[in-house]
Amino acid sequence: MRYLLATAAAAAFASSAAAAAPPQLTAAQRTATHAMFEHVVNTPTVIGRHKVPEMAEYLAGQFKAGGFPAADVHVVPYHTGSQTTGDDETAALIVRWRAPGTSSAKPILLMGHMDVVEAKREDSTTDPFVLTEQDGYYYGRGTIDMKDGITAITQAMINLRAAGFQPKRDIVVLFTGDEETNGIGAKKGATEWLDQLGHPEFGLNADGGGGGFNPDKSPAGFSMQTAEKTFAGYTLTVRNRGGHSSKPRKDNAIYSLAHALDKIEAYRFAPTLSETTRAYFAGREKLEKGPLGDAMRRWLANPNDGEAADFIEASESEVGLTRTRCVPTRLFAGHADNALPQLATAMINCRIFPGVDPNAIKTELEKIVADPTVVVTRNEDNVASLASPLRPDVTAAYTNAIHALHPGMPVFPEMSTGASDARPFRVAGVPVYGVNGAWVQVPADFRAHGKDERIPVQSLYDNVVHWQLMLRDLAGK
Amino acid sequence: MKRLIAALFLAGAGVPALAATDPRTVPSQLPAAWQAKTRELFKQVIETPSVEGRGQTQKVAKLLADQFRAAGIPESDIHIMPYDALPGDHTAALIVRWRSPKATKKPMLVLGHMDVVEAKREDWKFDPFVFREEGGYFLGRGTSDMKNGDVATTMAAIKLMSEGFKPSRDIIFFYSGDEETRGVGATLGSTKWRDLTEAEFGLNADGGCMSFDEKFRNLGCAVSTAEKTFQTYFFTTHNPGGHSSRPRPDNAIYDLSDALEKLRAHRFAPMLNPVSRAYFEQRAKQEGDNKLGRDIRAWLADPNNGAAADAVEADPLEVGHTRTRCVATMLSGGHADNALPQSATATVNCRIMPGVDPKDVQAELQAMAGPKVEVKPDPNYLGVSTPASPLRPDVFAAVTKAIRSLYGNSTDIYPIMSTGASDGSFFRAKGIPVYDVDSSWGISPIDERAHGLDERVPVNAMYNDVVYWTMIYKQLAG
Repeated sequence: MRYLLATAAAAAFASSAAAAAPPQLTAAQRTATHAMFEHVVNTPTVIGRHKVPEMAEYLAGQFKAGGFPAADVHVVPYHTGSQTTGDDETAALIVRWRAPGTSSAKPILLMGHMDVVEAKREDSTTDPFVLTEQDGYYYGRGTIDMKDGITAITQAMINLRAAGFQPKRDIVVLFTGDEETNGIGAKKGATEWLDQLGHPEFGLNADGGGGGFNPDKSPAGFSMQTAEKTFAGYTLTVRNRGGHSSKPRKDNAIYSLAHALDKIEAYRFAPTLSETTRAYFAGREKLEKGPLGDAMRRWLANPNDGEAADFIEASESEVGLTRTRCVPTRLFAGHADNALPQLATAMINCRIFPGVDPNAIKTELEKIVADPTVVVTRNEDNVASLASPLRPDVTAAYTNAIHALHPGMPVFPEMSTGASDARPFRVAGVPVYGVNGAWVQVPADFRAHGKDERIPVQSLYDNVVHWQLMLRDLAGK
Repeated sequence: MKRLIAALFLAGAGVPALAATDPRTVPSQLPAAWQAKTRELFKQVIETPSVEGRGQTQKVAKLLADQFRAAGIPESDIHIMPYDALPGDHTAALIVRWRSPKATKKPMLVLGHMDVVEAKREDWKFDPFVFREEGGYFLGRGTSDMKNGDVATTMAAIKLMSEGFKPSRDIIFFYSGDEETRGVGATLGSTKWRDLTEAEFGLNADGGCMSFDEKFRNLGCAVSTAEKTFQTYFFTTHNPGGHSSRPRPDNAIYDLSDALEKLRAHRFAPMLNPVSRAYFEQRAKQEGDNKLGRDIRAWLADPNNGAAADAVEADPLEVGHTRTRCVATMLSGGHADNALPQSATATVNCRIMPGVDPKDVQAELQAMAGPKVEVKPDPNYLGVSTPASPLRPDVFAAVTKAIRSLYGNSTDIYPIMSTGASDGSFFRAKGIPVYDVDSSWGISPIDERAHGLDERVPVNAMYNDVVYWTMIYKQLAG
């Protein structure tokens, strides 16, 4: 569940990287990367299509062909499902790159997810499951969420191995198969598979981090994700006796639901500042000279200045960073065009500020709707998410890799508005850092989960280099 | 598409409290020999499953055609017209002309349909396509919608022919083969095949006009002379969407919800036409001096009294009778729980007043919904605006005489505008007035099973319907 940062930002971290020509993949490595990316994007790993195991097997084959022993490459099938998403047989991929000899350091976990959000042909300009290169972009579902990261980690490990690199501590890969829906793979990873993963010291998640450039090509900054909002789904349900549509009743399930949605549209949750977001906005305001920066300064000076927080929230670059947000994402109602609806439901997707109990948000939604015929229920039982402490070694490795490719680029910590597989690991005591190296143009390329998802062609190849640099830094010393 | 029986007037002050004789126990006036013939034909057509896509409708047409042929109708006046309805549905219409030796009036059309709604064996208590007689009922798919009408209109003609009756006008029988799905047969019958169907007016046997309540009170005969036009519209909103963790200011679901809030509040202008005026005059009598009765009289006295019309429309008995109504019936939107919706669609089902163009309703809905919402008619069914048929004194006199001779002189006969839709609408749209006058009945609401499970018709309602149609032919073509 990819969050892409959206800001011009202050350089929160200093870099020790010397200015040099940015490193590049070789022509052969580009060809191999392209082929892998095309193969995985063209595999429609949407829930219900049973394609994740196929993608996991393909990647397992790539690792083995790259010299990783078959005994350390495991496709782990598992079941995912819930009332709202349907069921599927999916799979995780677990690969262990063992350090020679014995290492006292615990492994580094590399994380990603192989599944993607549904994309309908009729809603897209090109077939979302046929990788299409056009105008310097790769188009297709999963190009930035997150088959770019899957491809980058896999290619980086294959390239490092081919170059003779030997890690000084184990590197363990966990690619899950249901991050976009039920997150069961990550829950298993943080519990029953934790032995197999070697109880990692920390995780590096490719489903987080990343950076961007503004439309005028100026750097918009890269972020390192250390906290995330809690993902929680709610269902609004309205029931009615129904009847023949030639005789409309005064009460109608669809109208009651629409009225409730209009109230949610008008509502704003109370703004909140946390340690992470305070640091983030403290960095942001230094480079924002205009009204947005003024609002940040006013809000930091007075956290009760709701007007300033509302102004920040309304900025396209800061959506979701000042408070809990809830939005309707799906509608279902009725059973025939000539019958009054007996049932109408809406899915409300909430991203809850870290530390706030999702049950409290359910109560708040009930108050907003203020209609006892509209029943609010939770779709899952997620608990409030936690933040990971900043580690100097990870921060330095990320910043150095970013600066090797993008000299002078601002880098700063971030609370993700999305939720990811990182949550159960953070809850289990394994800190996780979102440190992907892909970049996009902001805000035009913010298309994760949306129409015509895309990634700049060069960004895909830079991301492979980025992961090579990170791994050399964190596992090579 | 059998219309809903208007069996509503239980509280009506004008309904006489008749002795509670179970109408199902009153012997039919149809002679025993003709009961046997009727039963045999009814059995054959019920056991021919003329459901969309099963290719059986032509067999029903042949069964009916054989009856006319045996009674002496020449081959040149019997036309089985094959056509395709829904894709893959090879069906047929039957057109038969019973010529007058010396016609003094323009022809009269008798309408019916031979197709039935699907019925599944596992849903029913018994096989829906095996004819049964049980407990005073005939049972099976089509026994009330409307193979009963096909058989009654055919049998009545055969009986009169056997008695040497010569009509004073041509009587044309038109039985379609896809009324329940597309209405292609009625469309062709009212246009391309018009040289075979041209008539002064039509009598539709689809849906009985009568009913009794569960205390066996006679609720009268409501003759549908007009139909609202059925038209479904789709309200669609579009949005670039995106990740649900970053809500946009605009949202396809919010845009649609805003339009639905407007739709909930929207009221079309009230309209009175000759049918609804006659209907409400009857209703005012039945209601007497209660609030509804007073509201109806106030509206009839001043058709511009919108407040009175609104009060009438708000009464549960009168919903849909004062104006066009549109209601949201289905919703779909979005593609994933964690993605902003790229599109959202509401299905809005409209029942449009006779004579109003569905395009005008579309324009009114579009103006109401605003530019963020696209309002389009369902391309699979484009409703045709239908004028109300004028109240013909000859038709009402014939129906009144025949109904009262069978069910008593206190039986009320009155016009009604159907809120449903049938083959009649296609002929009305092309200038042939149509009246739904079949006399069959059931106990309301327990026998209202058209399109539903365990469909049935009382045995004597079926046999009496044959008698009824002989009287109608004699009255209107005698």
